[in-house]
Amino acid sequence: MKSAGLQEMVRKIFSSEETKSQFVSDPNSIISQFELTETERKAVFATHAKLGLVTGNSNQLSAVVGPLTYWL
Amino acid sequence: MQQEGQAELLQEEIENVLASLSGTGDFLAEINEAVTNTSQGISANKGHDLPWPLLPLMVCEAICGLSERALPAAASIVFFKAAADVFDDIEDADAPDSLSSKYGAAVATNVATALLFVAEKALLRLKGRGVDDADIVRVIDVINSYYLRACFGQHQDIVLSGSSISEDRYLEMIEMKTALQLQCSCHAGALLGNGNDKLIDIFSNTGRCLGMAAQIGNDIRGVTAGNDIITRKISLPVIYALANTDESARQRTKIAFSKNGESITYANEIKEMLFQTGAIQYAMIKMETYRQEGLKRLLEARKIGAHIERLEPFFK
Repeated sequence: MKSAGLQEMVRKIFSSEETKSQFVSDPNSIISQFELTETERKAVFATHAKLGLVTGNSNQLSAVVGPLTYWL
Repeated sequence: MQQEGQAELLQEEIENVLASLSGTGDFLAEINEAVTNTSQGISANKGHDLPWPLLPLMVCEAICGLSERALPAAASIVFFKAAADVFDDIEDADAPDSLSSKYGAAVATNVATALLFVAEKALLRLKGRGVDDADIVRVIDVINSYYLRACFGQHQDIVLSGSSISEDRYLEMIEMKTALQLQCSCHAGALLGNGNDKLIDIFSNTGRCLGMAAQIGNDIRGVTAGNDIITRKISLPVIYALANTDESARQRTKIAFSKNGESITYANEIKEMLFQTGAIQYAMIKMETYRQEGLKRLLEARKIGAHIERLEPFFK
């Protein structure tokens, strides 16, 4: 299902360098402003913990994504 | 039973089902090629540790401690998926190493059709594994129902190709086209493990979540590697960018992914734009939500007695 709260949050994060930095240093300060489900909140924190802000290709990105795609 | 042992047994089951086609020369060779392409060789040691064909066996074992009674169902699902993959390649006409590219659409269509019959024959072997008739009928119904829905998902993909699509519609489509196959594997495994309705429901949903996470992961890989940008494939990061970025980025995305546009020579620019607008971040978080949901379901299964030790690492 489309996640309105999640989309708004990601839009906000990527709207400026300031909000990007804020999210990286204190993700909860951004997350708390939006209506997310419990699973979405956990997912945002987990993605942040593994990758921070995803702004480019990296070995970490491949390591997170790669194994799941082997199920196809 | 360890993964390698199960892989060998499944390979043997597949060969036994295909034994009736011995002596058909190229026909059997092409069927084997389709099966190998789909199952990536089944072996647990083919470059990665996530052999999806073993999923029905792992789920069955998680519930009842035994996996061999699920072998015919696991083989059947391999054949059904192989058929679906061959038909998909014919419809897309864009895979140079597909059966249809190598041998022509007529041969490929015939091979895929044969795989459907072989898949049904595989299910009849459940009797020899001690599965009672009522459960055999249930398994046949479950697997056929899932693959019928997969055809509807494929139909949606074909008719919507090139047109704009909402995120909800896209997620619905990938659920039917992709996630459903893993859901089917888990459902069949749980049924054959004599799971109660609650366990069957939990494992089915676990499979669905795994499939959704896997497809979104595939979408992310497709744009970050650039391939899906060059082929103009609409996927979750692209749908996000079309709905959530400024006018300039939205227009660039729209033009780049327009089916009738000129060939893309600036795939790296588009990839960079998808990163910088948060499209990849969004897709990563969505992938993670399904992974988290799948793990949550699996832990529920443990609470009611299933042994999930072999499955849990796949979600962590």
